[in-house]
Amino acid sequence: MDRKYYLDLAEAGLRMPIGTHLVLHEHADHEAVILDGERLGGVVADTADRFNTPLAVPLMDLKLEKEALLHAMGIPDADIESYHFDEAPSATPSFVLTPRIRATCDAISHVAKKPGLVPMGMGIGPFSLMTKLVSDPITPVFLAGTGLTAEDEPEIALIERAIEIGTQIILDYFTAQIDAGAKALIVCEPAANLVYFSPNQLDNSFEIFDRYVTGPMRRVKALLDSRGVDLVFHDCGELTNSMVGRFASLDAAMISFGCSRQLWEDAALVPKSTVLYGNLPTKNFISSQMTVAEVERLSKNLLEKMRSTGHPFILGSECDVLSVPGSEREILSKVDAFMNLSI
Amino acid sequence: MSTFVELSRAVEGGKRNDAKLLTQALLEQGIKPLEVVEQGLVPGMSAIGEKFKNNEVFVPEMLIAARAMKECMAILEPLLADAGIKPKYTAVIGTVQGDLHDIGKNLVAMMLKGANFGIVDLGTNVAPEKFVAAVQEHGAQLVCLSALLTTTMPAMRTTVQAVRDAGLASVKILVGGAPVTQDFCNEIGADGYSQDAASAVNLALRLAETY
Repeated sequence: MDRKYYLDLAEAGLRMPIGTHLVLHEHADHEAVILDGERLGGVVADTADRFNTPLAVPLMDLKLEKEALLHAMGIPDADIESYHFDEAPSATPSFVLTPRIRATCDAISHVAKKPGLVPMGMGIGPFSLMTKLVSDPITPVFLAGTGLTAEDEPEIALIERAIEIGTQIILDYFTAQIDAGAKALIVCEPAANLVYFSPNQLDNSFEIFDRYVTGPMRRVKALLDSRGVDLVFHDCGELTNSMVGRFASLDAAMISFGCSRQLWEDAALVPKSTVLYGNLPTKNFISSQMTVAEVERLSKNLLEKMRSTGHPFILGSECDVLSVPGSEREILSKVDAFMNLSI
Repeated sequence: MSTFVELSRAVEGGKRNDAKLLTQALLEQGIKPLEVVEQGLVPGMSAIGEKFKNNEVFVPEMLIAARAMKECMAILEPLLADAGIKPKYTAVIGTVQGDLHDIGKNLVAMMLKGANFGIVDLGTNVAPEKFVAAVQEHGAQLVCLSALLTTTMPAMRTTVQAVRDAGLASVKILVGGAPVTQDFCNEIGADGYSQDAASAVNLALRLAETY
């Protein structure tokens, strides 16, 4: 798509939450909806309509790729969620369309038929997928950063192989979403943050971050570029300026960061051709201490500061806004607060 | 530099092979296992914990240090058991039902172990009744509950209620995790909230002493 499209949305003052989970959970049978592409697509379209945006954001569920990978390896369904590799798998499994993935792709096809909507895909990034595949991803990343290699430490060999096969599954899944009609893909790398990478180590060299995060992400970007699909990059983890700089170099159409970042400061680190999105503290919307008035104050402050930078910006949530049973009204009241604020 | 100081520094720096050799060396010098823990390992973990609290080091350095300590403890624990020495306090820890995240929980468990707590780690996605059963089985003074998702915070409330309903009113409950706040802690009737693993240790010690 023409990158100017996103810049124009920002210029027009678009605001939107990542709110598909909220709308999905208004359906009593939401467990059935996520397995039905037509109905799921309807929810995605309804969400875009509800929040008055042309960007049809899918449900953020970052477990689908792990499920597809392990399903292909013959791991029983009941074990998949908590399963971790003990040793590096030698063969790369073939990508399979699980029922959830099939429904997600069908939902994109459904949205693609709706005029005025941008059908978007969604998925986890290679590094974050790896962190779900091994029981301790942090120690081997740190050890690799000290100069040890896969030959020295089996744990390093394990994470490197997990990234390799995970990246292939991700590329296959993204291809399926693009084939289904996705014009933009939201790639989520929430684990690429300073829990997994010590800033002390990165002060000496960014090689390990580039090897495990930026490098695989460039393979994803190359796929998207080859298919004319835009990258929307999301990372709600705690980041350093240097990490932000690395993500900025991916030339995404939009970047979404979590509320640990001051977006008006990040504006200096991100090119003006990339729209910044975010980053109201929506994880705290459940709390009655986070009042509507406070959300309005934070929104006003963020809008004013972003305007002063002149950077293309869309006001929104730090991550997907989750529906919590019993707290739906509380959460929605805060979403409405920033959507309806006049400024 | 004394061997105790060397051991502390090896643990703090995550040098597990050095730490194991120094542990062996102290034992060969006739030092009692509990002294090795209290004068070698615990100061090392405390030092790294303090740096973590001050943002001088980060989670990876903490984990590397904890791994070094864990491997030393593998040498010492059988000797401590033979001598009939048990940790003064026991904590049951887990991520609440519906939540599979465990980095924060693991860090707190390792830090508490470093402070010489007995740890019963129930893992992730733990049902309230499992927490209750573990407290009763191990006679724990402390329950530590972790949640990363707003969607699993209600399970934290349910777990606190289950512990209280089981008549374990004197058991102290410590909560933590990204969306958790002091207000939420107060609201659900937990005894303490900590925003990071290092602070959790001080709080756990304070709470356990009032058991």
